[in-house]
Amino acid sequence: MDICKLSATEMAACLRSHELSATEIAKASLERIQKVEGTVDAFLTVTEDEALAAAAKVDAQIAAGEQLAPLAGIPVGIKDNICTKGVRTTCASRMLENFVPPYDATVIEKLKAQGAVLTGKTNMDEFAMGSSCENSYFKPTRNPWDITRVPGGSSGGSAAAVAACEVPLSLGSDTGGSVRCPASFCGVVGLKPTYGAVSRYGLVAFASSLDQIGPFGRTVDDVSLLFDAISGEDKTHDATSKAGNFAARIREVKGLRIGLPKEYFGEGISEEVRAAVLKAVEEYRAMGAEIIEVSLPSTPYALSAYYIIASAEASSNLGRYDGVKYGFCGDRGGSLTDMYETTRSEGFGDEVQRRIMLGTYVLSSGYYDAYYKRAKLLQQNIAKEFEEAFTKCDFMITPVNPTTAFKLGENVNDPVAMYMADVCTINVNIAGLPGLSIPCGLGKGNLPIGLQMIGPKWSEGVLLGAAKCYETAVGGFAVKEM
Amino acid sequence: MNEKYEVIVGLEVHAELCTKTKIFCSCKNSFGAEVNTQCCPVCMGMPGTLPVLNKQVVDYAILMGHALNCSINRVTKQDRKNYFYPDLPKSYQISQFDIPLCEHGYLDILVGDEEKRIGITRIHIEEDAGKLIHADGFEGTLADYNRCGVPLIEIVSEPDLRGAEDAKAYLEAITSILLYLGISDAKMQEGSVRADVNVSVRPVGQKQFGTRTEMKNVNSFGAVFRAIQYEAARQIDVLEQGGVIEQETRRWDDANGVSVLMRSKEDAQDYRYFPDPDLLTFVVSEQHVQQLKDSVPELPVAKTLRYVKNFGLVRVDAELLASNKARAAFYDSCVSTGKNDPKLVANWIMGDIAKYLNENRIEINDTALTVENLTDMIALIEKGTISNTAGKTVLEIILKEDRKPGDIVVQQGLGQISDDSVLQNIVDEMIAANAKAVEDFKKGKTNAVGFLVGQCMRASKGKGNPGILRDMVVAALEKL
Amino acid sequence: MDIKRLAKLARLRIPEEKYAKMESDMEGIVRMVENLPDLSSDGALIDLNNTMELREDEIKPSTPRDEILANAPKAVAGCIVVPKTVE
Repeated sequence: MDICKLSATEMAACLRSHELSATEIAKASLERIQKVEGTVDAFLTVTEDEALAAAAKVDAQIAAGEQLAPLAGIPVGIKDNICTKGVRTTCASRMLENFVPPYDATVIEKLKAQGAVLTGKTNMDEFAMGSSCENSYFKPTRNPWDITRVPGGSSGGSAAAVAACEVPLSLGSDTGGSVRCPASFCGVVGLKPTYGAVSRYGLVAFASSLDQIGPFGRTVDDVSLLFDAISGEDKTHDATSKAGNFAARIREVKGLRIGLPKEYFGEGISEEVRAAVLKAVEEYRAMGAEIIEVSLPSTPYALSAYYIIASAEASSNLGRYDGVKYGFCGDRGGSLTDMYETTRSEGFGDEVQRRIMLGTYVLSSGYYDAYYKRAKLLQQNIAKEFEEAFTKCDFMITPVNPTTAFKLGENVNDPVAMYMADVCTINVNIAGLPGLSIPCGLGKGNLPIGLQMIGPKWSEGVLLGAAKCYETAVGGFAVKEM
Repeated sequence: MNEKYEVIVGLEVHAELCTKTKIFCSCKNSFGAEVNTQCCPVCMGMPGTLPVLNKQVVDYAILMGHALNCSINRVTKQDRKNYFYPDLPKSYQISQFDIPLCEHGYLDILVGDEEKRIGITRIHIEEDAGKLIHADGFEGTLADYNRCGVPLIEIVSEPDLRGAEDAKAYLEAITSILLYLGISDAKMQEGSVRADVNVSVRPVGQKQFGTRTEMKNVNSFGAVFRAIQYEAARQIDVLEQGGVIEQETRRWDDANGVSVLMRSKEDAQDYRYFPDPDLLTFVVSEQHVQQLKDSVPELPVAKTLRYVKNFGLVRVDAELLASNKARAAFYDSCVSTGKNDPKLVANWIMGDIAKYLNENRIEINDTALTVENLTDMIALIEKGTISNTAGKTVLEIILKEDRKPGDIVVQQGLGQISDDSVLQNIVDEMIAANAKAVEDFKKGKTNAVGFLVGQCMRASKGKGNPGILRDMVVAALEKL
Repeated sequence: MDIKRLAKLARLRIPEEKYAKMESDMEGIVRMVENLPDLSSDGALIDLNNTMELREDEIKPSTPRDEILANAPKAVAGCIVVPKTVE
C-alpha cells in the first residue's frame, strides 16, 4: 500500500482498524516530502521532529484505547502565513525570514487539539500577494502536473504539496482566489469559506476584510473533514468570526437550481476551460439539477474594487514591519526614518511594495472618496447582486481561472496581466461568500481545469454536498503520478 | 496680557480609562509595572493578531458623554489612523474618525463667580501608545510597550475658553468628573490625563477667529496655564509687529517655559483614516444607553450650587467640598441624617478632618470614621454635652476606631460640667486666687473676664461649660 | 501620481534605477482600478448587516517578556531599542 496516496479519510480508517500507526503515516509523509521536494519545492520548513512527536502521542492514545479526534494522526501542511508557536512563520518574505511566533493561530490550536500531525510550512507568494507562487522571497514552487509551470497562488505550496501526495491535507488562505486558483491549477479540491466561518486569528493579515483560511485535499470528503475541524466562532480573538451551521451536507442535487452567471463565461475565458466547466454542468443536469442563467452586472468592476480594497488594507496591515519589534531590520546607523525606509525597501519584494504604494495612494487625502469609498460602495452593490441572484438559484458554477496553469516566468513582468488571473474568484471575497474549487477534467498538456461553486453565505454544506455528488458521478478525481 | 486681544482656547483632553484590561486585549491595564511585562502578541502588534473591543471602554465613554450632556451615537465603528512611530507597534492607532461615540455636548464651569458654558465637540475612544525612554548617555531610544492599548477617551472642546483661567477651570472640572464617574485615575502627573492645547488670539470685537496653533505634550494643570499664557503672548507679539500666525504644531517645553515648533502646516501628516476592517460596526442598545444615563451621579457643579443654595455654604467652600467625590459623598450622607446643622458638618469635614487626611495622605474612606459617629459627635456639641475642644479629642479617636462618641465621652470623662454648684465653687476659687485680674476688671479692663473664664476652664480640665462659666464669672465680679 | 510623496508616506525608498519601472507599473495599475461606476454617498461606511459583539473586561495573563522580545532586532534592559527619536 502506498500510504501517501491514501486520502485523509482512508488514513483515519486505517488508524482505527490498526492497519497503520500514526508514526507510520507520519514517516511515509516525511519520506515522500524528502523524495519529491527537490522537484516541487512546496515546503519552506519541514517540522520532522514535531510531526513525529505528535504522531507518537496519537499512537499512545490508540494504545490506551482512547477515542480519536477526526484528524488525529493525519499529516497537514500549513501555509507559511499562519502563525505556529515556536516554528518560524515567514510569509515567504525576507521581512519575516527569522520570525518565530510566540503563539499559535486559532486554527493551529484546533488542529493540535485534534492530534493532527503538522509536517511543515508551505511556500506562497510573499504576504499572499500573487497568483503564481513566484513572488516567494525564497523559491518558486512548481506544479506537480508540469514542473515548468506555476502551481497558482498565493497558496501554491499548500496546493502542490497535496497534489504531489506529500500530505493528504493542507491549509491555505484566500483573499482573492488564493486557495481556489492553486487548487484548480494543481487539480485538487480547495474551499474558501464564508467570511467569518474560520477564525483569522494568527493568519498574517493581507486584506483583513477579505482574508479567509481554507482547506485543501484530494477529495471532497477530506476538505469537509478539515473544514469541520477549523471552522467556528472565535469570540475571544476574532471579532469578525461568526457561528455557522454547516453540519447538514446535502446528499443529492436533484431539484436544485444551479445558476450560470453569464458574465463569467464571456471573453477572456479560454475555450478548453469553458468547455470543461460546461461539461460538468451537464453532469449536474443529468443528476436532476435545473440549470438557469443568472446575471451579476457589476462583475466588470470587481477587479477595481478588489485591488483598491485589498491594497488599502494591506498598506495599513503591513505598516507594522518597520524593523523595530520583529523581523528584518535594515541599517540602524542613521536616523529613525532611514531605518524605516531601509528596512521596508529591502525587506519587501517588488509586488508587495507596489501594493503598499497603491494602497497608500487610494487612502491618501483627496483620493479616499474617489477610490476607497467608491470601492466599498461597489462592494455593497456586488453583495446585493449576489443576494438577488441567490433568490433564483441555490448555487452557481463558474470557471476558477481563465486558463490552465501558465509557465513559470510567463507573467512576472506584467502585474496587470497577472491580476487578470483572479477575475473569476475575487467577487466571492468581495461579497464574503463561500467558494469551492473542484477538478473538472484535464486540458491540453494534461493540465487540470477547475470548476468554481459559489453559494450564499453559510452554504458550505450545500457546496460540499453537491461537489461530492459530482465527484462520485465522475468516479473520483485524477491524482498525478510522480 | 495685552487688553486689545482676546485669547481663544480649545482643549483636546486624553484621559486613560481605569478598566481592568486594555482596550483590545486581555492584558492588565495598570500603571507602573516593570517594562514590557504587561504585553501580549495583540498589544505588541504581532503579525496575525486581531483586536477585540472591551465593552467596559464603551460604557465608560458613554458615561462621560452623558456627564458632558452629549448625544450618543449608538451605531458606530473604529477607524485606523496610520502613521509610523516606534511607540505605535502596528503603525496605526485604532481610534474613531467620522462617527465618535459621543458628540454635541457641553460643560458648565465656574470661573471666579461666573458660570460659563463650554461646548464639547466630541468624545471618542482610542488606544494609547507605548512609552519611549530617553536615557542619558545611551545611543538610542528605549521602547516600553506596557501602555500600548490602554484605553483612552479623547474629549474635544469647542474654542469656547477665553484664556488660561478658563482652561484651568475646565480641566479641573473634567478631571473631577472623571473621578466622580470612577472611570479614570485622572492623575496628570502620571500621565493618565494629557492635553493638547489649541490657542489663537483676535482683536477684541473681531468675530472671526485668528489662526490657531496646537501645542502637544502639556502634562499638568500648571503647564496648561503657562503654555496658554506664553503662546498667547507670543502670538500677540507677532501680530503687534505686523507678522502673521502660521498654523503649526508646537511642543510645550515646560522646563524652559517656551513652545517650540514641531511641524509646520506643510508637513501636516496624512493619516489615511479608514474603517478598521478587523472591527465591525457596533451597536449599543437604546436601553443600555439609558441605563448608563440613569447611573450618572450628581456632578460637582450641581453639587456646589446645591450646597450654596440649600445649606448656606460659602461658594468657595462648597466648590472645594464638591470637588472631592469621597468627601462630598460622606458629607451628603451626614447631612441626610438630619441630625446636625449642615454648615457645622461642613466645617468639621473641611477643617479638622481634611487636615488629618492631608497630613496622612489618605482619603476619608481610608479612615475608620463612620457617618453615624461623626454626626453623633457633632450632635453632642450642639446639645452642649461636650465642648468643641472635647469634640476634637473624640474625633481623633473615631478617625481611628469605630467607637460610639457617647461612650468615649463617658469613658474619658469628656462631658461638660453644667452643674451650677460645682461650677460656682470653681469660679469662687479662681476669683479668690487671681486678685490681680479682679483689680484689672475694676479698672475697666474687660478682657480680664476672658482670662478668668480661661482659668476656670483649666481648673475644670476643659469640661466646664464655657457659656455658664462666663455668666457666673461676670455675676461674681459685679457682686464684688 | 506623486510617487515620491507616496513612497515617503509608506516609508519606502525607491532606488533611482527602479523608479521608472515603479512609475509605469503604478500608472498601469491605477488605470486598471479606475474602472469604477459613479457611486457616492454622504454617509460614513457603516454596515448594519455585519455587526460585532464586544468583549467582557476580564484579565488574562500577559506573555512572558523574553517571549515578547525574542524576535526584536535589538533589545536592552527589557526594552526594545530604536534610533534616537529626539535630539
